[in-house]
Amino acid sequence: MYDAIFIEEHDTPTVTFAFEYFLNDSMSAASSRGMPVVRVVPEAIVSECTVVETIDNAITAVFDDMVAALTKPLTADEKAPKPREPENPPRVVFKGNLEEVNRFFYQRGWTDGLPVIPPTEEAVAEMLAGTDLPADHLVEKLEPRLGKATVERIAINAVMAGCLPTCMPLLIAGVQALAASPVCGMMAASTGSFSPFWLVNGPVAKDVGVRSTYGATNPGDIANASIGRALGLITKNGRGVRKQIEDMGVLGNPGKYTWVAAENEENSPWEPFHVDCGFKKEDSAITLMFPQSFQQMMPFGTDDKGILATIVGSIVPARMGSFAVLLTPTNAGSLANGGWSKKAVKDYIVENTIVPDDYFSRLGLKADKPFDRGNVTGPGRGPKIFYPNPRDPDPARVFVFGGFGSWMGFIQGGPPPITRKVELPANWAQLIKKYKNVVPTYARY
Amino acid sequence: MSADKAGASYEVLSPWAEADPKQLNGISPRLADLAGKKIGLLCNNKRAAPLILDVTERLLKERYPTCQTSRFNSRSFSVSSLEPDRKGEFEDWIKGVDAVVAAVGD
Repeated sequence: MYDAIFIEEHDTPTVTFAFEYFLNDSMSAASSRGMPVVRVVPEAIVSECTVVETIDNAITAVFDDMVAALTKPLTADEKAPKPREPENPPRVVFKGNLEEVNRFFYQRGWTDGLPVIPPTEEAVAEMLAGTDLPADHLVEKLEPRLGKATVERIAINAVMAGCLPTCMPLLIAGVQALAASPVCGMMAASTGSFSPFWLVNGPVAKDVGVRSTYGATNPGDIANASIGRALGLITKNGRGVRKQIEDMGVLGNPGKYTWVAAENEENSPWEPFHVDCGFKKEDSAITLMFPQSFQQMMPFGTDDKGILATIVGSIVPARMGSFAVLLTPTNAGSLANGGWSKKAVKDYIVENTIVPDDYFSRLGLKADKPFDRGNVTGPGRGPKIFYPNPRDPDPARVFVFGGFGSWMGFIQGGPPPITRKVELPANWAQLIKKYKNVVPTYARY
Repeated sequence: MSADKAGASYEVLSPWAEADPKQLNGISPRLADLAGKKIGLLCNNKRAAPLILDVTERLLKERYPTCQTSRFNSRSFSVSSLEPDRKGEFEDWIKGVDAVVAAVGD
Protein backbone atom coordinates (compact mmCIF):
# COMPACT_ATOMS: atom_id res chain seq x y z
CA MET A 1 0.00 0.00 0.00
CA TYR A 2 2.91 2.33 0.65
CA ASP A 3 3.77 2.35 -3.05
CA ALA A 4 0.14 2.99 -4.02
CA ILE A 5 0.14 6.03 -1.73
CA PHE A 6 3.46 7.20 -3.12
CA ILE A 7 2.03 7.01 -6.65
CA GLU A 8 -1.20 8.80 -5.66
CA GLU A 9 0.95 11.53 -4.11
CA HIS A 10 2.49 11.91 -7.55
CA ASP A 11 -0.96 12.74 -8.98
CA THR A 12 -1.45 9.40 -10.64
CA PRO A 13 -4.60 7.32 -10.04
CA THR A 14 -3.84 3.90 -8.64
CA VAL A 15 -5.65 0.73 -7.74
CA THR A 16 -4.22 -2.18 -5.79
CA PHE A 17 -5.27 -5.81 -5.98
CA ALA A 18 -5.34 -7.34 -2.49
CA PHE A 19 -6.43 -10.73 -1.20
CA GLU A 20 -9.92 -10.28 0.28
CA TYR A 21 -8.74 -11.20 3.81
CA PHE A 22 -6.20 -8.37 3.65
CA LEU A 23 -8.64 -5.48 3.31
CA ASN A 24 -8.31 -4.39 6.96
CA ASP A 25 -4.56 -4.70 6.74
CA SER A 26 -4.46 -2.69 3.51
CA MET A 27 -6.61 0.10 4.88
CA SER A 28 -4.66 0.29 8.16
CA ALA A 29 -1.46 0.62 6.15
CA ALA A 30 -3.04 3.34 4.03
CA SER A 31 -4.34 5.22 7.09
CA SER A 32 -0.94 5.03 8.74
CA ARG A 33 0.50 6.96 5.79
CA GLY A 34 -2.25 9.56 5.80
CA MET A 35 -4.32 8.31 2.87
CA PRO A 36 -7.19 6.21 4.25
CA VAL A 37 -9.19 6.23 1.02
CA VAL A 38 -6.90 4.48 -1.46
CA ARG A 39 -8.80 2.23 -3.81
CA VAL A 40 -8.32 -1.47 -3.30
CA VAL A 41 -9.93 -4.27 -5.29
CA PRO A 42 -10.34 -7.40 -3.19
CA GLU A 43 -9.66 -10.65 -5.00
CA ALA A 44 -9.63 -14.33 -4.08
CA ILE A 45 -5.94 -15.11 -4.56
CA VAL A 46 -4.34 -16.59 -1.47
CA SER A 47 -0.97 -15.09 -0.53
CA GLU A 48 1.99 -16.71 -2.30
CA CYS A 49 -0.33 -18.54 -4.75
CA THR A 50 1.48 -19.93 -7.80
CA VAL A 51 -1.47 -21.61 -9.55
CA VAL A 52 -1.95 -19.71 -12.82
CA GLU A 53 -5.51 -20.92 -13.44
CA THR A 54 -6.66 -19.77 -9.99
CA ILE A 55 -5.11 -16.36 -10.54
CA ASP A 56 -6.59 -16.05 -14.03
CA ASN A 57 -10.11 -16.82 -12.77
CA ALA A 58 -9.80 -14.53 -9.76
CA ILE A 59 -8.57 -11.50 -11.72
CA THR A 60 -11.07 -12.05 -14.52
CA ALA A 61 -13.84 -12.01 -11.88
CA VAL A 62 -12.84 -8.59 -10.57
CA PHE A 63 -11.52 -6.98 -13.75
CA ASP A 64 -14.55 -4.66 -14.02
CA ASP A 65 -13.99 -3.55 -10.42
CA MET A 66 -10.40 -2.69 -11.30
CA VAL A 67 -11.52 -0.62 -14.30
CA ALA A 68 -14.11 1.15 -12.13
CA ALA A 69 -11.49 1.92 -9.48
CA LEU A 70 -9.48 3.81 -12.11
CA THR A 71 -12.42 5.56 -13.76
CA LYS A 72 -15.24 6.11 -11.25
CA PRO A 73 -15.29 9.75 -10.06
CA LEU A 74 -14.13 10.47 -6.52
CA THR A 75 -16.53 10.81 -3.61
CA ALA A 76 -16.33 13.77 -1.26
CA ASP A 77 -14.52 11.63 1.34
CA GLU A 78 -12.01 10.42 -1.24
CA LYS A 79 -11.23 14.04 -2.11
CA ALA A 80 -10.93 15.19 1.52
CA PRO A 81 -10.90 12.21 3.89
CA LYS A 82 -11.99 12.33 7.51
CA PRO A 83 -9.84 10.76 10.28
CA ARG A 84 -10.43 7.02 10.82
CA GLU A 85 -8.85 6.55 14.23
CA PRO A 86 -10.74 7.90 17.25
CA GLU A 87 -8.93 10.43 19.41
CA ASN A 88 -6.21 9.16 21.69
CA PRO A 89 -7.68 7.74 24.91
CA PRO A 90 -7.18 9.74 28.10
CA ARG A 91 -4.12 8.93 30.23
CA VAL A 92 -6.27 7.50 33.05
CA VAL A 93 -8.46 5.24 31.04
CA PHE A 94 -10.54 3.17 33.49
CA LYS A 95 -11.27 2.40 37.11
CA GLY A 96 -12.43 -1.00 38.30
CA ASN A 97 -11.56 -4.18 40.10
CA LEU A 98 -9.06 -6.70 38.78
CA GLU A 99 -11.56 -8.57 36.67
CA GLU A 100 -13.12 -5.40 35.28
CA VAL A 101 -9.75 -3.90 34.37
CA ASN A 102 -8.77 -7.07 32.58
CA ARG A 103 -12.05 -7.28 30.71
CA PHE A 104 -11.82 -3.60 29.72
CA PHE A 105 -8.29 -4.02 28.36
CA TYR A 106 -9.04 -7.32 26.63
CA GLN A 107 -12.16 -5.98 24.91
CA ARG A 108 -10.15 -3.10 23.47
CA GLY A 109 -7.57 -5.48 22.04
CA TRP A 110 -4.80 -4.24 24.34
CA THR A 111 -3.68 -7.61 25.75
CA ASP A 112 -2.20 -10.84 24.45
CA GLY A 113 -5.16 -12.79 25.81
CA LEU A 114 -3.56 -13.53 29.15
CA PRO A 115 -4.51 -11.55 32.28
CA VAL A 116 -2.50 -8.40 32.93
CA ILE A 117 -1.33 -6.56 36.02
CA PRO A 118 -3.31 -3.30 36.32
CA PRO A 119 -1.03 -0.40 35.32
CA THR A 120 -1.88 1.98 38.13
CA GLU A 121 -0.12 5.26 38.70
CA GLU A 122 1.78 3.69 41.62
CA ALA A 123 2.86 0.57 39.70
CA VAL A 124 4.00 2.63 36.72
CA ALA A 125 5.95 4.98 39.03
CA GLU A 126 7.77 1.99 40.49
CA MET A 127 8.52 0.71 36.97
CA LEU A 128 9.97 4.10 36.04
CA ALA A 129 12.58 3.62 38.77
CA GLY A 130 14.29 1.35 36.21
CA THR A 131 15.46 4.26 34.07
CA ASP A 132 16.95 7.71 34.42
CA LEU A 133 15.03 8.93 31.40
CA PRO A 134 12.01 11.17 32.05
CA ALA A 135 8.58 9.61 31.66
CA ASP A 136 7.72 11.75 28.66
CA HIS A 137 10.96 10.97 26.82
CA LEU A 138 10.16 9.66 23.35
CA VAL A 139 12.19 6.51 22.74
CA GLU A 140 10.84 5.77 19.27
CA LYS A 141 7.79 6.08 17.05
CA LEU A 142 6.85 2.62 15.90
CA GLU A 143 5.70 1.95 12.35
CA PRO A 144 3.19 1.46 10.89
CA ARG A 145 0.91 3.39 13.25
CA LEU A 146 3.73 5.64 14.44
CA GLY A 147 2.56 5.25 18.04
CA LYS A 148 4.83 7.10 20.44
CA ALA A 149 6.77 4.65 22.58
CA THR A 150 7.52 7.07 25.39
CA VAL A 151 9.25 5.86 28.52
CA GLU A 152 5.94 6.01 30.38
CA ARG A 153 4.08 4.04 27.71
CA ILE A 154 6.82 1.41 27.78
CA ALA A 155 6.49 1.27 31.57
CA ILE A 156 2.70 0.88 31.39
CA ASN A 157 3.01 -2.10 29.08
CA ALA A 158 5.83 -3.47 31.25
CA VAL A 159 3.59 -3.39 34.32
CA MET A 160 0.86 -5.18 32.40
CA ALA A 161 3.34 -7.88 31.36
CA GLY A 162 4.57 -8.45 34.91
CA CYS A 163 8.06 -6.96 34.51
CA LEU A 164 10.23 -5.87 37.41
CA PRO A 165 11.65 -2.33 37.14
CA THR A 166 15.05 -3.87 36.41
CA CYS A 167 13.67 -4.89 33.01
CA MET A 168 13.24 -1.29 31.89
CA PRO A 169 16.76 -0.81 30.44
CA LEU A 170 16.28 -3.92 28.32
CA LEU A 171 12.83 -2.82 27.20
CA ILE A 172 14.05 0.61 26.15
CA ALA A 173 16.89 -0.92 24.12
CA GLY A 174 14.42 -3.46 22.76
CA VAL A 175 12.10 -0.71 21.53
CA GLN A 176 15.10 0.93 19.84
CA ALA A 177 15.77 -2.37 18.08
CA LEU A 178 12.11 -2.68 17.04
CA ALA A 179 12.38 0.71 15.35
CA ALA A 180 15.73 0.06 13.67
CA SER A 181 14.25 -0.68 10.27
CA PRO A 182 10.89 -0.48 8.47
CA VAL A 183 11.35 -4.22 7.92
CA CYS A 184 10.74 -4.81 11.66
CA GLY A 185 7.20 -3.48 11.29
CA MET A 186 6.67 -5.70 8.28
CA MET A 187 7.92 -8.72 10.23
CA ALA A 188 5.31 -8.07 12.90
CA ALA A 189 2.56 -8.08 10.30
CA SER A 190 3.78 -10.71 7.84
CA THR A 191 1.92 -13.82 6.74
CA GLY A 192 5.14 -15.63 7.67
CA SER A 193 4.41 -15.28 11.42
CA PHE A 194 7.90 -14.05 12.23
CA SER A 195 8.33 -13.84 15.99
CA PRO A 196 10.78 -11.63 17.83
CA PHE A 197 13.56 -13.62 19.46
CA TRP A 198 15.56 -11.64 22.01
CA LEU A 199 19.14 -12.56 22.98
CA VAL A 200 20.57 -10.78 26.01
CA ASN A 201 24.30 -10.35 26.49
CA GLY A 202 26.56 -8.80 29.08
CA PRO A 203 26.31 -8.25 32.83
CA VAL A 204 22.69 -7.09 32.66
CA ALA A 205 21.60 -10.68 32.03
CA LYS A 206 22.68 -11.87 35.48
CA ASP A 207 21.63 -8.62 37.13
CA VAL A 208 18.08 -8.99 35.86
CA GLY A 209 17.95 -12.77 36.03
CA VAL A 210 17.55 -13.52 32.33
CA ARG A 211 18.02 -17.27 32.16
CA SER A 212 20.86 -18.59 30.02
CA THR A 213 21.07 -22.19 31.20
CA TYR A 214 18.67 -25.15 31.35
CA GLY A 215 15.36 -24.35 29.69
CA ALA A 216 16.45 -20.82 28.87
CA THR A 217 13.40 -20.23 26.70
CA ASN A 218 11.01 -22.30 28.84
CA PRO A 219 8.37 -20.62 31.01
CA GLY A 220 9.26 -20.01 34.66
CA ASP A 221 11.60 -17.01 34.88
CA ILE A 222 10.11 -13.60 35.40
CA ALA A 223 12.66 -11.81 33.20
CA ASN A 224 12.48 -14.17 30.22
CA ALA A 225 8.70 -14.36 30.52
CA SER A 226 7.92 -10.70 30.98
CA ILE A 227 10.49 -8.95 28.76
CA GLY A 228 9.31 -10.66 25.58
CA ARG A 229 5.72 -10.29 26.68
CA ALA A 230 6.09 -6.56 27.30
CA LEU A 231 7.73 -6.02 23.92
CA GLY A 232 4.87 -8.00 22.36
CA LEU A 233 2.34 -5.73 24.06
CA ILE A 234 4.29 -2.70 22.84
CA THR A 235 4.15 -4.12 19.32
CA LYS A 236 0.38 -4.26 19.70
CA ASN A 237 -0.25 -1.03 21.60
CA GLY A 238 2.50 1.14 20.13
CA ARG A 239 3.13 -0.23 16.68
CA GLY A 240 -0.57 -0.91 16.30
CA VAL A 241 -0.17 -4.44 14.93
CA ARG A 242 -3.17 -6.53 15.99
CA LYS A 243 -4.07 -10.11 15.07
CA GLN A 244 -5.84 -10.45 11.72
CA ILE A 245 -6.13 -6.69 11.41
CA GLU A 246 -2.51 -5.82 10.71
CA ASP A 247 -0.79 -9.04 11.83
CA MET A 248 -1.69 -11.42 9.02
CA GLY A 249 0.47 -14.32 10.23
CA VAL A 250 -1.11 -17.43 8.77
CA LEU A 251 -0.02 -20.17 11.17
CA GLY A 252 0.93 -17.80 13.98
CA ASN A 253 3.88 -18.30 16.28
CA PRO A 254 3.91 -19.10 20.02
CA GLY A 255 7.16 -17.14 20.30
CA LYS A 256 5.08 -13.97 20.04
CA TYR A 257 4.03 -14.46 23.68
CA THR A 258 7.67 -14.25 24.71
CA TRP A 259 10.96 -15.68 23.41
CA VAL A 260 13.96 -14.51 25.38
CA ALA A 261 17.28 -16.06 26.39
CA ALA A 262 20.62 -14.83 27.63
CA GLU A 263 23.78 -16.23 26.13
CA ASN A 264 25.51 -18.65 28.48
CA GLU A 265 28.65 -16.57 28.39
CA GLU A 266 30.40 -18.06 31.38
CA ASN A 267 30.25 -21.57 29.93
CA SER A 268 30.88 -20.70 26.30
CA PRO A 269 34.40 -21.23 24.95
CA TRP A 270 33.98 -18.27 22.58
CA GLU A 271 33.45 -14.54 22.80
CA PRO A 272 29.80 -13.63 23.28
CA PHE A 273 27.61 -12.55 20.41
CA HIS A 274 27.58 -8.84 21.30
CA VAL A 275 31.38 -8.83 21.12
CA ASP A 276 31.05 -10.26 17.59
CA CYS A 277 28.91 -7.19 16.89
CA GLY A 278 31.59 -4.78 18.06
CA PHE A 279 30.53 -4.16 21.65
CA LYS A 280 32.83 -4.55 24.63
CA LYS A 281 32.49 -7.65 26.72
CA GLU A 282 31.52 -5.54 29.75
CA ASP A 283 28.76 -3.81 27.76
CA SER A 284 25.23 -5.10 27.96
CA ALA A 285 23.21 -5.55 24.79
CA ILE A 286 19.99 -6.97 23.46
CA THR A 287 19.72 -8.57 20.03
CA LEU A 288 16.54 -8.93 18.00
CA MET A 289 15.90 -11.56 15.34
CA PHE A 290 12.59 -12.48 13.70
CA PRO A 291 12.65 -16.27 13.23
CA GLN A 292 9.74 -18.05 11.69
CA SER A 293 10.83 -21.41 13.00
CA PHE A 294 12.64 -23.23 15.77
CA GLN A 295 14.01 -26.69 15.14
CA GLN A 296 15.75 -28.97 17.65
CA MET A 297 18.01 -31.88 16.75
CA MET A 298 19.95 -34.66 18.44
CA PRO A 299 23.39 -34.55 16.82
CA PHE A 300 24.62 -37.58 14.87
CA GLY A 301 27.56 -37.59 17.27
CA THR A 302 28.62 -35.34 20.12
CA ASP A 303 32.15 -34.72 18.82
CA ASP A 304 32.92 -31.85 16.46
CA LYS A 305 32.40 -33.97 13.36
CA GLY A 306 28.99 -35.19 14.51
CA ILE A 307 27.78 -31.73 15.47
CA LEU A 308 28.89 -30.07 12.22
CA ALA A 309 27.41 -32.88 10.12
CA THR A 310 24.11 -32.45 11.91
CA ILE A 311 24.07 -28.74 11.20
CA VAL A 312 24.88 -28.84 7.50
CA GLY A 313 22.79 -31.96 6.95
CA SER A 314 19.64 -30.59 8.59
CA ILE A 315 19.24 -27.16 7.02
CA VAL A 316 16.41 -27.43 4.53
CA PRO A 317 16.59 -25.90 1.04
CA ALA A 318 13.16 -24.24 1.35
CA ARG A 319 14.39 -22.09 4.23
CA MET A 320 14.29 -18.29 4.15
CA GLY A 321 15.96 -15.37 5.88
CA SER A 322 18.56 -15.12 8.60
CA PHE A 323 19.88 -18.18 10.37
CA ALA A 324 21.36 -18.96 13.76
CA VAL A 325 22.52 -22.27 15.14
CA LEU A 326 21.78 -22.68 18.85
CA LEU A 327 24.51 -24.59 20.62
CA THR A 328 24.59 -25.63 24.23
CA PRO A 329 27.82 -25.00 26.12
CA THR A 330 28.47 -28.73 25.70
CA ASN A 331 28.17 -28.56 21.92
CA ALA A 332 30.30 -25.41 21.77
CA GLY A 333 32.88 -26.98 24.06
CA SER A 334 33.15 -30.05 21.82
CA LEU A 335 33.74 -27.84 18.79
CA ALA A 336 36.31 -25.71 20.62
CA ASN A 337 38.08 -28.87 21.82
CA GLY A 338 38.29 -29.91 18.18
CA GLY A 339 40.06 -26.66 17.37
CA TRP A 340 37.06 -24.80 15.96
CA SER A 341 36.70 -21.07 16.50
CA LYS A 342 33.24 -19.58 16.19
CA LYS A 343 34.21 -17.99 12.87
CA ALA A 344 35.49 -21.31 11.57
CA VAL A 345 32.17 -22.93 12.47
CA LYS A 346 30.25 -20.21 10.64
CA ASP A 347 32.48 -20.45 7.58
CA TYR A 348 32.06 -24.23 7.58
CA ILE A 349 28.29 -23.89 7.61
CA VAL A 350 28.29 -21.42 4.70
CA GLU A 351 30.70 -23.47 2.61
CA ASN A 352 29.31 -26.93 3.24
CA THR A 353 25.56 -26.59 3.47
CA ILE A 354 24.63 -27.71 -0.03
CA VAL A 355 21.73 -29.18 -1.96
CA PRO A 356 22.49 -32.58 -3.54
CA ASP A 357 22.64 -32.53 -7.35
CA ASP A 358 19.47 -34.57 -7.73
CA TYR A 359 17.52 -32.92 -4.92
CA PHE A 360 15.00 -31.05 -7.06
CA SER A 361 14.65 -33.66 -9.80
CA ARG A 362 13.87 -36.35 -7.19
CA LEU A 363 11.06 -34.09 -5.97
CA GLY A 364 9.69 -33.78 -9.51
CA LEU A 365 10.55 -30.09 -9.70
CA LYS A 366 12.03 -28.35 -12.71
CA ALA A 367 13.35 -25.25 -11.03
CA ASP A 368 15.93 -23.45 -13.11
CA LYS A 369 16.02 -20.41 -10.85
CA PRO A 370 15.46 -19.66 -7.17
CA PHE A 371 11.91 -20.57 -6.14
CA ASP A 372 11.18 -17.37 -4.25
CA ARG A 373 12.76 -14.14 -3.06
CA GLY A 374 13.99 -15.82 0.11
CA ASN A 375 14.67 -19.32 -1.13
CA VAL A 376 17.92 -18.67 -2.87
CA THR A 377 18.40 -22.30 -3.78
CA GLY A 378 17.71 -23.81 -7.17
CA PRO A 379 19.62 -25.67 -9.87
CA GLY A 380 20.38 -22.41 -11.66
CA ARG A 381 22.09 -21.01 -8.59
CA GLY A 382 24.54 -23.71 -7.62
CA PRO A 383 24.60 -26.16 -4.78
CA LYS A 384 24.98 -23.82 -1.80
CA ILE A 385 22.20 -22.74 0.52
CA PHE A 386 23.93 -19.72 2.09
CA TYR A 387 25.21 -16.84 -0.03
CA PRO A 388 26.79 -13.94 1.87
CA ASN A 389 25.55 -10.70 0.34
CA PRO A 390 25.55 -6.97 1.15
CA ARG A 391 22.24 -7.30 3.02
CA ASP A 392 23.46 -10.24 5.08
CA PRO A 393 27.24 -10.62 4.82
CA ASP A 394 27.33 -13.04 7.74
CA PRO A 395 24.37 -15.34 7.06
CA ALA A 396 25.12 -18.01 9.68
CA ARG A 397 25.23 -16.97 13.33
CA VAL A 398 26.10 -18.99 16.41
CA PHE A 399 24.38 -18.44 19.76
CA VAL A 400 25.42 -20.41 22.84
CA PHE A 401 22.80 -20.94 25.51
CA GLY A 402 20.99 -23.66 27.39
CA GLY A 403 22.08 -26.28 29.88
CA PHE A 404 24.74 -28.97 29.57
CA GLY A 405 23.37 -31.37 27.01
CA SER A 406 23.56 -32.48 23.43
CA TRP A 407 20.31 -31.24 21.91
CA MET A 408 20.95 -28.36 19.56
CA GLY A 409 18.76 -26.10 17.47
CA PHE A 410 18.21 -23.69 14.62
CA ILE A 411 16.23 -20.52 14.42
CA GLN A 412 15.71 -19.00 11.03
CA GLY A 413 13.83 -16.29 9.21
CA GLY A 414 13.66 -12.53 8.89
CA PRO A 415 16.26 -9.83 8.44
CA PRO A 416 19.77 -9.94 9.92
CA PRO A 417 19.94 -9.52 13.71
CA ILE A 418 19.72 -6.03 15.21
CA THR A 419 21.73 -5.37 18.39
CA ARG A 420 21.37 -2.38 20.69
CA LYS A 421 23.41 -1.40 23.74
CA VAL A 422 21.56 -1.44 27.07
CA GLU A 423 22.03 1.75 29.10
CA LEU A 424 21.72 1.33 32.86
CA PRO A 425 20.45 3.96 35.31
CA ALA A 426 22.77 5.53 37.89
CA ASN A 427 21.10 3.68 40.75
CA TRP A 428 21.49 0.29 39.09
CA ALA A 429 23.34 -1.35 41.99
CA GLN A 430 20.63 -0.42 44.49
CA LEU A 431 17.92 -1.43 42.06
CA ILE A 432 19.20 -4.94 41.45
CA LYS A 433 19.76 -5.37 45.18
CA LYS A 434 16.14 -4.41 45.83
CA TYR A 435 14.74 -7.04 43.46
CA LYS A 436 17.39 -9.77 43.66
CA ASN A 437 15.26 -11.98 45.89
CA VAL A 438 12.35 -12.02 43.48
CA VAL A 439 13.21 -15.52 42.27
CA PRO A 440 11.30 -18.80 42.49
CA THR A 441 12.27 -21.19 45.27
CA TYR A 442 11.10 -24.69 44.43
CA ALA A 443 10.23 -26.99 47.33
CA ARG A 444 11.50 -30.55 46.87
CA TYR A 445 8.96 -33.37 46.89
CA MET B 1 -17.05 0.01 39.08
CA SER B 2 -16.90 -2.45 41.94
CA ALA B 3 -14.20 -3.56 44.32
CA ASP B 4 -12.97 -7.12 44.19
CA LYS B 5 -13.16 -9.53 47.15
CA ALA B 6 -10.15 -7.89 48.74
CA GLY B 7 -11.82 -4.50 48.33
CA ALA B 8 -9.32 -3.37 45.73
CA SER B 9 -10.07 -1.17 42.79
CA TYR B 10 -7.57 0.14 40.31
CA GLU B 11 -7.36 3.40 38.42
CA VAL B 12 -5.35 2.40 35.37
CA LEU B 13 -3.34 4.17 32.69
CA SER B 14 -3.79 3.64 28.98
CA PRO B 15 -1.25 1.35 27.26
CA TRP B 16 -2.32 2.56 23.80
CA ALA B 17 0.42 4.85 22.50
CA GLU B 18 -0.48 8.32 21.43
CA ALA B 19 0.06 9.18 17.80
CA ASP B 20 0.29 12.60 16.22
CA PRO B 21 -2.71 13.58 14.12
CA LYS B 22 -1.91 12.88 10.51
CA GLN B 23 -2.36 15.22 7.59
CA LEU B 24 -4.89 13.28 5.55
CA ASN B 25 -4.73 13.40 1.80
CA GLY B 26 -7.27 12.45 -0.82
CA ILE B 27 -6.54 10.40 -3.88
CA SER B 28 -5.95 11.60 -7.41
CA PRO B 29 -8.77 12.31 -9.85
CA ARG B 30 -9.65 9.26 -11.94
CA LEU B 31 -9.40 8.84 -15.68
CA ALA B 32 -12.47 9.21 -17.89
CA ASP B 33 -11.59 6.07 -19.82
CA LEU B 34 -8.68 3.65 -20.13
CA ALA B 35 -8.78 3.60 -23.94
CA GLY B 36 -5.58 5.04 -25.40
CA LYS B 37 -3.98 5.37 -21.98
CA LYS B 38 -0.67 4.02 -20.73
CA ILE B 39 -1.28 1.87 -17.65
CA GLY B 40 1.58 1.13 -15.28
CA LEU B 41 1.73 -2.34 -13.79
CA LEU B 42 3.56 -2.32 -10.46
CA CYS B 43 4.78 -5.67 -9.26
CA ASN B 44 6.30 -6.33 -5.83
CA ASN B 45 8.50 -9.35 -5.07
CA LYS B 46 5.78 -11.68 -3.85
CA ARG B 47 5.39 -14.51 -6.27
CA ALA B 48 1.68 -14.11 -7.07
CA ALA B 49 2.21 -10.48 -8.10
CA PRO B 50 3.67 -10.99 -11.61
CA LEU B 51 1.09 -13.65 -12.39
CA ILE B 52 -1.72 -11.28 -11.36
CA LEU B 53 -0.31 -8.61 -13.63
CA ASP B 54 0.09 -11.03 -16.55
CA VAL B 55 -3.65 -11.63 -16.46
CA THR B 56 -4.41 -7.95 -15.94
CA GLU B 57 -2.28 -6.97 -18.92
CA ARG B 58 -3.95 -9.54 -21.16
CA LEU B 59 -7.46 -8.46 -20.16
CA LEU B 60 -6.61 -4.77 -20.53
CA LYS B 61 -5.36 -5.28 -24.07
CA GLU B 62 -8.36 -7.42 -24.98
CA ARG B 63 -10.82 -4.76 -23.83
CA TYR B 64 -8.80 -1.67 -24.70
CA PRO B 65 -6.68 -2.49 -27.78
CA THR B 66 -5.26 1.04 -27.84
CA CYS B 67 -4.16 0.84 -24.23
CA GLN B 68 -0.42 0.52 -23.56
CA THR B 69 1.23 -0.98 -20.50
CA SER B 70 4.52 -0.52 -18.69
CA ARG B 71 5.88 -2.69 -15.89
CA PHE B 72 7.92 -1.76 -12.84
CA ASN B 73 9.28 -4.63 -10.79
CA SER B 74 10.08 -4.00 -7.15
CA ARG B 75 12.87 -6.01 -5.58
CA SER B 76 11.12 -5.89 -2.21
CA PHE B 77 7.68 -5.43 -0.67
CA SER B 78 7.81 -1.70 -1.42
CA VAL B 79 9.99 0.40 -3.71
CA SER B 80 9.19 3.66 -1.94
CA SER B 81 9.90 2.33 1.57
CA LEU B 82 12.69 -0.17 1.10
CA GLU B 83 14.56 0.77 -2.09
CA PRO B 84 15.78 4.35 -1.61
CA ASP B 85 18.37 3.88 -4.35
CA ARG B 86 15.56 3.44 -6.90
CA LYS B 87 13.38 6.38 -5.90
CA GLY B 88 14.33 8.48 -8.95
CA GLU B 89 13.84 5.60 -11.32
CA PHE B 90 10.44 4.91 -9.74
CA GLU B 91 9.35 8.54 -10.00
CA ASP B 92 10.39 8.68 -13.65
CA TRP B 93 8.32 5.59 -14.33
CA ILE B 94 5.28 7.09 -12.60
CA LYS B 95 5.58 10.25 -14.70
CA GLY B 96 5.44 8.11 -17.83
CA VAL B 97 2.10 6.43 -17.12
CA ASP B 98 -1.50 7.66 -16.83
CA ALA B 99 -2.60 5.29 -14.06
CA VAL B 100 -1.20 2.34 -12.12
CA VAL B 101 -2.47 -1.12 -11.24
CA ALA B 102 -0.48 -2.54 -8.32
CA ALA B 103 -0.25 -6.18 -7.35
CA VAL B 104 1.19 -6.92 -3.93
CA GLY B 105 0.74 -10.69 -3.88
CA ASP B 106 -1.17 -10.57 -0.58
